[in-house]
Amino acid sequence: MTMHPDSLRPFFLAFLCHGLLLSVWAEPLKTRLTQSPHQLVYEAYIDDNWEIMTSHADGSQVRNLTRSKDRHELYPQVSPDGTKLCFVSDQGAGRDTVRSVHIMNMDGSGHQVIADHARQPCWTHDSDTLIYLPQEYPKWNVVDYYTKGLMYYHLPTKKHRPHPNTEKLHHLYNPSMSSDGHWIVATVHAGMGFKHAILLIEAEGERIVDLQIPGCRPTFSPDGTKVAWGPGDHEIAIGRIDWKANPPQVAEKLLSVKDAVHKIYHVDWAPDGRFLSISRGLSSDGDPSKPGTHQAACEMVGIYAKDWNIIAVATDASETIDLAKEENGLWTTLTLDGRSYKESDWFTPSR
Amino acid sequence: MAAAILMGCQPREESSNRSQSFEVKTASGIPMIFVPAGRFEMGSGDTHPDEGPVHEVTLDAFLMDQFEVSHEQMTALQLPNPSHWQDDPRKPVEQIRWRDAKLFCNERSMAEGLQPCYDESQPGWPCDYDAGGYRLPTEAEWEYAARAGSSSALPVAKDRLKTYAWFGENADARTHVVGSRRPNAWQLHDMFGNVSEWCQDVYEANYYEVSASANPRGPKDSAEQTKRSMRGGSWKSTLDMCRVSFRQGQQTGDSDACFFTDYCGFRCVRSITLDQAKALVVRAETEGQSQNP
Repeated sequence: MTMHPDSLRPFFLAFLCHGLLLSVWAEPLKTRLTQSPHQLVYEAYIDDNWEIMTSHADGSQVRNLTRSKDRHELYPQVSPDGTKLCFVSDQGAGRDTVRSVHIMNMDGSGHQVIADHARQPCWTHDSDTLIYLPQEYPKWNVVDYYTKGLMYYHLPTKKHRPHPNTEKLHHLYNPSMSSDGHWIVATVHAGMGFKHAILLIEAEGERIVDLQIPGCRPTFSPDGTKVAWGPGDHEIAIGRIDWKANPPQVAEKLLSVKDAVHKIYHVDWAPDGRFLSISRGLSSDGDPSKPGTHQAACEMVGIYAKDWNIIAVATDASETIDLAKEENGLWTTLTLDGRSYKESDWFTPSR
Repeated sequence: MAAAILMGCQPREESSNRSQSFEVKTASGIPMIFVPAGRFEMGSGDTHPDEGPVHEVTLDAFLMDQFEVSHEQMTALQLPNPSHWQDDPRKPVEQIRWRDAKLFCNERSMAEGLQPCYDESQPGWPCDYDAGGYRLPTEAEWEYAARAGSSSALPVAKDRLKTYAWFGENADARTHVVGSRRPNAWQLHDMFGNVSEWCQDVYEANYYEVSASANPRGPKDSAEQTKRSMRGGSWKSTLDMCRVSFRQGQQTGDSDACFFTDYCGFRCVRSITLDQAKALVVRAETEGQSQNP
């Protein structure tokens, strides 16, 4: 049987489209990242010390921002305008550790201590205010939910003020703010009547919404339409937020990144929304022989995570990204030597 | 004499050793029961394979918390309360990782000037049983105390269990204030229910086949072991799980950032001699007299 050439056209077009799609995805993700104008900041354990590193989006041009031997810097977050960095600093050892919230300019100048016995800072959308979580008690404890209340620190006036609902905010962790400044998204564990939940918290009000999604460590997409979070130890998901619903809810899961072997944590969005960075490594509970570290789940801040690296994934994938498969157009490793690289944050360098 | 006074006049189950158990108040005011040294038949031969073979065990004396560790005890030591149900500070702590239960033991030891049992500088926080501070009970200590001299795996009549335990049939799917059910024959509350309790031992189903007979401490300790023994029924248990010989191995949660197993609680023990325990009673009585002349 012979076929008329016109009848082959749809197949030819489909073949062409499929080829184009394949060629986009077949392009190594590293190449796409190399063309990105964005950079990453993350924590690393180097020569018995926690330091804050930056790199280009593709993992090249690594630079140590802190180089401090007398204290440990962790949990970096760059302001949306790319000019300033907030982070936590641990001083002392073991149960005498004091964790405090700091800021500095991206060039290393202007270092200031903002609050002692506080943790998990992040920025408001306009880059002029810091959000941080006071510890539940001054005494040291490494668990991530060891917080009570939520505070703002306004840089221009140097004034601290409590969130309007601070008395009710208990055991929150990993907060981040939406790009319009209206909402904070955070995890709660064993507090506020919740066993464990991901919450939307009104930034200047008392409204609290349970997003009804399992897991922890959520973060808004730069355009505010989506949320990425970890539904479990071995999955990162992206969901679309239906802001028109009352209350707002995660309407559908758009993408899932899975790794059956390694834990994957600490998801963050590239400023253009095209990529995610994720920490990845085997489960463990730390190494008490290492100075400045503690024992708990290794994804927590201050726990040495042996062989953990930062990876990037593409958010335009239309299928589940399986990290058991070889690196491809959908995911790539950004750090290679496993020096407990965790808590990455994307930023656009200021000019 | 002091024992008779301190044990009060609550009705109790039959016990061959009851005259030797008595209540003491520790320096931080937490009531504990002196559990006398003794011998008992551990395990059960007629139900679950991991409860056999029944074997004889001898134990040194120890103190055991009369109640499960409560929310208010955690917060008194400025420790984060990991519990799901936080509506009453007298409720038992749950959702607690094995390591965080040990941290409580160490903090409590230090608050009372005792040498902590757990070495926090070593992987897995190994236990020094001779340190004199608070620690988690071994499985054998737990079962011996829960039996309170009884040879039965359920030391109370089945139809009366609801008066002794919060479990699946009466708990309304939640925890309850500690001590709000009747105690066992040695005045220990909630040994059959409310929350299941962490023990020190690594869990191994066939351990009883090789267990030491004197002060057994479970299979060889290892930082890599992720399952530890958990004993006693909980608010979600069936009646069968409330038996004192019932064993379960539970992931410690130590390498899990989100541990939300809301039936995992604990109580503390402390190795002690009879004379040391009597001294605690005398001290408590003396302090009571000086406060209330």
